Amino acid sequence: MTTTRVRLSDIARCFQGIVPSIIATSDSRGMPNVTYLSQVHLVDDRHVALSCQFFNKTRRNLDENRSACVEVNDPLTLQAYRLRVTFLRSEKTGPLFDTMALRINAIAAATGMNGVFRLIAADVFEVQSVEEVHGFLSGPPPDTCALGVSLDGLRTEMRGLQWVSQRITHATDLESLLTEVLSALEEYFNFAHTSVLLFDESRRVLVTMASRGYGRSGVGAEVALGEGIIGTVALGRRLLRLTSLEADLRYGRAIRRETAAGERSLDAEIPPPGLPDAQSVLAIPLKIGDRLVGVLVAEDRDPMRFGEWHEAYLEIIANQIAFSIDRMLDRADDGDADAEKVAGSASRNRLASQPTPRSRRRLTYYRSDDAVFVDDEYLIRNIPARILWKVLSESVRTGRTEFSNREMRLDPSLGLPPVKDNFESRLILLRHRLKEKCPDLQIVSTGRGRFALRAGAAIEMIER
Amino acid sequence: MTDQRVKRCLDPGMSLLVGTVDADGAPSCCRAVGLASNDDLATVTVYLPLATSQRIIQDVATTHRIAVAATHVIDHCSVQLKGTASTARLARQDEAPVITEWLDAFSSVLDAVGVPRRVTLSLNHWPAFAVEMRVDQLFEQTPGPNAGSQLK
Repeated sequence: MTTTRVRLSDIARCFQGIVPSIIATSDSRGMPNVTYLSQVHLVDDRHVALSCQFFNKTRRNLDENRSACVEVNDPLTLQAYRLRVTFLRSEKTGPLFDTMALRINAIAAATGMNGVFRLIAADVFEVQSVEEVHGFLSGPPPDTCALGVSLDGLRTEMRGLQWVSQRITHATDLESLLTEVLSALEEYFNFAHTSVLLFDESRRVLVTMASRGYGRSGVGAEVALGEGIIGTVALGRRLLRLTSLEADLRYGRAIRRETAAGERSLDAEIPPPGLPDAQSVLAIPLKIGDRLVGVLVAEDRDPMRFGEWHEAYLEIIANQIAFSIDRMLDRADDGDADAEKVAGSASRNRLASQPTPRSRRRLTYYRSDDAVFVDDEYLIRNIPARILWKVLSESVRTGRTEFSNREMRLDPSLGLPPVKDNFESRLILLRHRLKEKCPDLQIVSTGRGRFALRAGAAIEMIER
Repeated sequence: MTDQRVKRCLDPGMSLLVGTVDADGAPSCCRAVGLASNDDLATVTVYLPLATSQRIIQDVATTHRIAVAATHVIDHCSVQLKGTASTARLARQDEAPVITEWLDAFSSVLDAVGVPRRVTLSLNHWPAFAVEMRVDQLFEQTPGPNAGSQLK
């Protein structure tokens, strides 16, 4: 067998976790053990780290004999490479551990295995040699360029940053900002399936505020902190790139199945949001310092859609998006004082006096569930539901159709948090839900810090 | 009598890994392309591509120690056979169907998880070595809390 020595950085694709890697170890008596590896992490050109999730035979063997052999495969060509490695140490805290744990925690959360399927340690190995296994394939590896497959970015970093920055800068409100961000990601990076979730600190949930490339918008869908892949990213405040998602989930489910045979009860499995057949996910926390603003999510059916390049680069863009969202949320306060005067006097069109409605809508507010249903179909709950009920009630009672953000903020019955109330994002949510479920009723912006209620149907209100 | 779950390791389409160790304690691994037994897993013959397994064959000739892991790619059900290699020889022509049947089934399994059949079929598989081993120990290797428990 001939071998060619290569550098680890030359085979970085092999460490994306798409094709499972193999490790052979041996105990002190010379009995070998061979198994698949969950994760081989490229640390630098002389070191790799392996995930240790169970105190298994491999782990015990390494305590007796530090030599191991690892075989990794190129996910595009399947070409194999053998690494002769020596175990150095186990890291149970620190940046390397956190990075590797995030991926495992996300899979655990997505398969209801929180706390059971977890990283015990990041085992660091010194790489003694890397060899291409000649003859592994019956012919020469296919030319990936000829296949039109590339993991690199499409254009230059600086241009991309400029492009996205410009789009963000031109946004006039939170809704257009989110739309522009997702649009720019598709136009510049070809990310066809994306969503933005904003963090509702008072309820400790992430709420889908905008999406692109899905059949249904999914706006309003919620993810609890620590729940599933997105919740895990939000909780850890760290970017996560998952390739071969289906394989990872299958692995998690195998452990779940084996564990379920025991007595421990497990959480219900949470299906990943968005594409039902996503093969890769890039989830980026939007944060200012340590404060979580939201999560930006991109998905794809191609298991190799997102590369290391995207990971590093989009983190920069995510910072800019986070600052812009935060600025928008703050700026929504600015116009409130002016709006207060307008809201009291202007637009006294009664709902009933608008153009003759062609249809009738029945809205029911269930106080115990804090939710509004339209014609017996769920519309919205919590604070946006209370906002809707307040403005509807006010319209029916006084004839007013125009309102200000400020008066909403001053109403304690709405239960808005005293700081960072995300009022505008709640209004966007309400607007989208109405558009999807009750287009006869609209919340329209009438200027900074102001909005109006428009009804194209007769509204019947019931409270229970 | 070996149970059906363990006997799955002989099914065509299982992912097969082989581990060995040299006289200095340095382990090696490679992928196998077929596994057969006609005595209820008391002994097995594991087939290794000649092109990629020369180090493995050297180890087997020196230490006779060998481990074979068989894993179903979709559900991760996995067992590991450990034992002593008695013979390492070139696979005979009449054994070729075992390997082609394995590769055909393996390519179907991988195709189901998104690896195109043509890519899997490009794996070098012939000529092959046949290593005959006595199975001394059998272990559960499905990931989870029971991984590592001895079945034989």
